[in-house]
Amino acid sequence: MEPLAHPHRPSLETEQRRVRDLVLEMGEMVDIAIHHATRALVDRDVELAGAVIAGDHVVNARQAEVHEHCLSVILTQAPVARDLREILGFLHMSDELERMGDHCVNIARIARNLSDLPPLGAPVDLPILSRTVAAQVRDMLNALVARDIDRAREIAARDDRVDRIYHRMVDDILQLMVGDSRNVYPGTQLILVSMNLERIADRVTNLAEDLVFLETGSVEELG
Amino acid sequence: MSAEFRIQVASDIVPAVSGEPLPPPMVETRGLDAWYGDFQALRKVDFSAPKGRVTAIIGPSGCGKSTLVRALNRMNDLVPGYRTSGEIVLDGSAAPADPAGVIGLRRHMGMLFQRPNPFPMSVFDNVAYGLRLERRFKKSELAEPVERALTRAGLWEEVKDRLGRSGLGLSGGQQQRLCLARSLAVEPEVILMDEPTSALDPIATLKVEELMREFRDEVTIIIVTHNMQQAARVSDVTAFMMMGAGRAGELVESNSTVELFNQPKDRRTEDYITGRFG
Repeated sequence: MEPLAHPHRPSLETEQRRVRDLVLEMGEMVDIAIHHATRALVDRDVELAGAVIAGDHVVNARQAEVHEHCLSVILTQAPVARDLREILGFLHMSDELERMGDHCVNIARIARNLSDLPPLGAPVDLPILSRTVAAQVRDMLNALVARDIDRAREIAARDDRVDRIYHRMVDDILQLMVGDSRNVYPGTQLILVSMNLERIADRVTNLAEDLVFLETGSVEELG
Repeated sequence: MSAEFRIQVASDIVPAVSGEPLPPPMVETRGLDAWYGDFQALRKVDFSAPKGRVTAIIGPSGCGKSTLVRALNRMNDLVPGYRTSGEIVLDGSAAPADPAGVIGLRRHMGMLFQRPNPFPMSVFDNVAYGLRLERRFKKSELAEPVERALTRAGLWEEVKDRLGRSGLGLSGGQQQRLCLARSLAVEPEVILMDEPTSALDPIATLKVEELMREFRDEVTIIIVTHNMQQAARVSDVTAFMMMGAGRAGELVESNSTVELFNQPKDRRTEDYITGRFG
């Protein structure tokens, strides 16, 4: 006998959709926060840095909402198999996105600290790292919407590229610091910024692993 | 990927034996068919219950779960028009097919039903009943095995002062554990349970479930249950059955309980356990 081809658990599915939408919303907020934090740094825009820092509580609030919904689904709907993985997968994604938001706050704080100092003697291409990382986040959100695990695996594999840019940038900054001791303080701060961006990209890999787990039930180490 | 998250998820759903290789089967059916007259109730069922483990059989009403369990200890033999074909294998050997073999078979296979069915006699005599079928005992010889069976069934402390009173005077949960003690007294290798807790309240249900976990290693348990959470809680292996063509019961999938509830292989199993079926 063929299974009947219609869903029968509207309350469960409504909750699952709600959780997914909240996670996607968090993802969009993080994407914007990466852009704004980087722009605040490059343009020495203290106001924009302040907005990133102040806006993080919204990301945190969404994470709390995701937790609440997941807990309630587990308590009241007893999900199993794919339904359970869906809830656990999104629960973990919300934690990762919340931490990404924290990384953006770290960058915005550094932007505020550096705003009164003159620029480094030579240009450091921070925007390219920031753009690459933000693209990883955005692509991952699209893969999540499409439930596309092949794309998720590709995105995780691209983390190497982020690592290469990151290492090159740290090398460049070190050179500037060696060349002129006045560059030591801002250089150190910029290394911290690159580290925060690199950490965001690592968490994108975790999101890709979550999507693979959610879709297949297998735990795959990506990246 | 944060490792602690994954480990936590796994340990939450893993029953005691997950990951260990399963012991060899204690009970097996090979290509088992069963009919009630013209109606085929089971079709080509290859079922296997590993030794010293709990195997749950789940599936929608009318899918043949009870027929399968009742076929194992020949409970249906006297139903008019009932017949089977295929093999039933117990501990590696074919189960006796002749009528005379039934008593011996049931000596090895106890059974617990949906509604507790203590005999209308004292608690003590209920438990001693199976032993007395074997040979004549002096009452003093029976005290020890009766106490042991009641202790294993978690009932001794509750009934030790009322062994002479009727078993029918106990609560539903106690009656079910009395029936369990009655089965355990003859030290069977297998206990079949057909919806053993569906008439019990949640506390009594949990007691029976705890006992099932305690017997692991000593007794092979096969439990039919409508309650999927119960199957997930108590069993090491879960078998999913459903009606196939002509409403005959078929075994769709059997796997370790964790696997079956996490990554069912058959779409029909997934639809059923996630509540999207029928």
